[in-house]
Parts: sequence; C-alpha cells; structure tokens
Amino acid sequence: MLESLKLCMHITLRNWMVYKKDFIANISPTIADPALILVSLGLGLGTYVTNVEGMSYMQFLAPGLTVATALFTSFFESSYGFFVRMTFENVFKAMLTTPIGVKEVVLGELIWVALKGAVMAVGVAIVLALCGMMTNPWMIPMLSFVGFLVALPCGAMGLLSTSFVNNMNQFQTVYSFLIAPLYFLSGIFFPIDQMSTPVRAVAEIFPLIHGVRLAQALFWDRDIFSTLLCSGGILVLQSAILCAWAFVRIRKKLIT
Amino acid sequence: MILAKSLVKSFGTFSAVDGIDLQVQKGECFGLLGPNGAGKSTFISMTYGTVQRSRGELSVFGYDPKTDSREIKKRMGVVTQENALDESLSVFENMMIYGAFIGLPKSERKSRIDELLEYMNLAHKKEALIQTLSGGMKRRLVFVRALLGKPELLILDEPTTGLDPAVRHLLWGKVKELHQAGTTIVLTTHYMHEAEVLCDRLVILNRGKIVADGSPQQMIQQHTPGFVGIFKPEDKTHVEKIVANEKNLNFHEDTSGLYLRAPDLNQLATLHSNHGLQPLQIRPSNLEDVFLKLTGQELSVDA
Repeated sequence: MLESLKLCMHITLRNWMVYKKDFIANISPTIADPALILVSLGLGLGTYVTNVEGMSYMQFLAPGLTVATALFTSFFESSYGFFVRMTFENVFKAMLTTPIGVKEVVLGELIWVALKGAVMAVGVAIVLALCGMMTNPWMIPMLSFVGFLVALPCGAMGLLSTSFVNNMNQFQTVYSFLIAPLYFLSGIFFPIDQMSTPVRAVAEIFPLIHGVRLAQALFWDRDIFSTLLCSGGILVLQSAILCAWAFVRIRKKLIT
Repeated sequence: MILAKSLVKSFGTFSAVDGIDLQVQKGECFGLLGPNGAGKSTFISMTYGTVQRSRGELSVFGYDPKTDSREIKKRMGVVTQENALDESLSVFENMMIYGAFIGLPKSERKSRIDELLEYMNLAHKKEALIQTLSGGMKRRLVFVRALLGKPELLILDEPTTGLDPAVRHLLWGKVKELHQAGTTIVLTTHYMHEAEVLCDRLVILNRGKIVADGSPQQMIQQHTPGFVGIFKPEDKTHVEKIVANEKNLNFHEDTSGLYLRAPDLNQLATLHSNHGLQPLQIRPSNLEDVFLKLTGQELSVDA
C-alpha cells in the first residue's frame, strides 16, 4: 500500500517534470481563458446584465470560472495528454516494466490532474479576489479543495474518453457533446434554477454543477457548511465511481 | 528462472502464442528467434504481466506473473522494443525518474546513473535532451534504464532493430560482458546472426509455435550441416543439372538467389573447376539456413 502510493507520487512528479519544461505553453490557457471570459462577459456583457441574484454579473461569474479552470486543466490532460503518452510516446510500455502497475498509472495520473486542478483554482481565485470578487478572501485556500474535487472526477472522465476513442480526432466528439454542454449548462454563466428541468437533471449527474455550487458558496460566503456537506459529498461519490470505472477501462487498454 | 508449460495466448480466434514449452536457466543467454508476428514479444510481455496468458503455466523466479508481477519486475530489467524515453527531458532526468520508479534509494541514484552512462559511453550526453540524441544513443540509454536496478534477469526485446552495424557490435559486446558477469539474458530478435553471436541456447518461433530448439551449433548441425554456396539466378538450369547428378547437395531457391548446401566444403569449392560454375559466395551454414528450412515459404508471409 505504502509502496503503491510512493509509486503514484513518482508518476505525479514525472508529469510535473515534463509539464514545467514547457511551462509557459502549458499554463497559457489556464491563465488566459478565465481572464478573457471575465473581461468579455463580465465587463462587456456585464454592462447590460446588471443584476443577477442581487449582484453584478462579474461577481456572479467569478466562482464558476475557478471551477471551469479545474475542469479544462484536468480533462485535457487526461484525454489528449494521456492518449499521446499512451499511444505515441509509449510512456506506459516502459513504466509497466518497472514495479509500477496499472493501478499506480491511473492513480498517479489522477493525483496529478487533481493537484493541478487545485493549484489552478487557487491561482484563479487569488486573481479574482484581488479584483474584489470575493466576499471573504480568507476562503481562498478552500478553493484548492474545490479544484481538487472537480479535477479528480473530470480527470477520470478524460481517462474514460481515452479508453473509448480509437484516435485522437474522436476527442472532438466528446468535447462537443459532453464537455462543452457541461461547461455552458452547469450554472457558471446563468443561475442554475433558470435551466429547464430535464437539462438540469442531466447536469446534476456530472461533477461540474456541484463544483459550481461549492465555489459560489465560498465566493459569496453563503451556506458554506451545508453546501460543503451536500455538494462536496456528491463530488466525493462521483469521484469514487468515475475513478473506479476509469481504472477498469484503462486496465483493459494497458493489459491484454 | 522462466518456466513455461503449454503456454497459450489467444486474441479472439488467433493464437499469438500457441502452446509453448520452455525453460530458461539461471545464467544463460536464451534467444527467441522468429519473424515479425511469431509471438516473441507476446511471450516477453507475458513474463512481466502486461499480456496475460489464456492457458497453460508460466512462472518467473517462481512467481506467477498474473498475480505477482511486481515481485518479478523488481528483479528484472527490460530493454523495451520502443525506446519510450521522455523526449523533452534530459538524459539524466529520464534516468532519475526511472531510478525512482524502481525504488533505487536517492543517495545511490546519481552514482548508479553516472556509472552506467560511463559504461554505455554516454557520459558526455548526460545533460543533453533526448530529442537531440541519435537513434543509437537512445538505444544505449534504454540499456542504461534497464540496468539501473542491477537486474538478475535482463530482457532484450529486439534490442538492435534499426541500428547501424557499429552500434550493434557495441551493444553485442556489452551484452556479452553482462552475460559473463552472471546476468541471465532473454533476447528476442529476427536477426539470425545476432542470436548466433549471443545465445547459448535458443528456440525458433513461427506462428506462435516452437519449431526448433538447442544451441546455435546444435541446430545448424541437426538441420543444415555443412556449407552453403550462393549462385546467380541466371545459373538456374546449370545448377539444377548439377543437383540432379551430384549426391549430398541440397538446393533452395528464393528471390535473392540460388542456394546449394553441401556437408563438405570441397564439394562446393570444386564446382567451379569441375563444372565452370562460379559461386557468388561460399560460407558456413548458419541459423538463417536453419530458419528458412524449417519455416520455408511461411517466412513473414503474415507479418
């Protein structure tokens, strides 16, 4: 068990070493995307939409952006990134000749994307807090928890996509019909209650909406404890299911 | 060290490994020889658990790779068919990562890497990025990676495919040294000459089955003893006439030329003076002849 965890951490460290080699390129979308949305939607659209749930549109938008960051950073890493490592770079063919097994490969990847999600969410939250978007800036460290809990199941969804596609091009289908709809329909851009019931019911199955609720509670300093319990609990459950499923699927890919 | 009994691996209706019995002894250099698709890599992957057997028995160091692959992999080093190095990292960084994977204590990692880079003549490339290395250097680095944990069993999965003769000879030298130092080696290759140079004992695989086994010399003695003369395709009628009249001559033809094998060198050497037939080359019979004889036209048809 301890040995296994140690190996997972070594995989995480390996990914970090590769990531930091091309740091600027790797971190660009994580920084640029939320900034762009905040400026274009928050400042631009925000002049027309002046009151959403009793706050400015920018204030409404802010918490969701931290969650979106965790979604994208984890999903792309464990879909395109993992696929390239598996298929073109043959990283796991070599790794699996060492004491590392598939369990460590999957867990190591998921720990990596979850930690990355946590760091990114905090990074975005700091910037937003500096812009005055956070009621209580002492809540910033808690955003690491949200980033982790969103990135973990979304990373598992990325691994699952990897296990289903036959080539890299097919990730586009997953993105267009799953990830993009989740992004737009999980309460980041407009209040969840305004979505039609069927859409909302589908959104509830996926992790993003619960992450958004959690982030909103922390940003707006509202019902933090009960949201942590409820949305946090759902995220833990979803993580467990998605990670276990991802492990089973990836195992079939790596061991024949 | 490795024991396989009636080992089978099927993918659907196709059997990549189709009932193999073999035993690899401690300290020997054992070869698996065969064309592409013969089942060599499938067998190798089964020994450390990334391919799981369908039927039969397999044990490595007394462990079952299906359940105890980690115990096996701790004592084993693998030169994988693909280099699988991290291209954006340096030589040293790549090896540090693998040093961690195999559980080499941090204090030993650096010195062990330096020692092996020296051994594989790569010390001057320690800080170079993988993407700047030549194919031969990358291959040598994969050897370093496989040797980091001082393995008792070293698996070489087509170690010299695609390399130039100079690098190939260098690697052969290293493999011989490791073998002499007591490392057990399992080598897969489709180069007959490589197997002949390195292996104490080998099996020839074709379509998932063992078609011959023994030492290279035993195999040659048993299946194709003697010498082989190679002739130009234009001399076919001439050669056929001689084969019809002389005893002990084996005739074989393929797209590259005509092959006559005789147990006695003299018989081939005198073909020129007696019949005016000029051979392109006369050489001792080798594993390639054994291979062609045993697998015949089947060679690489499916590959």
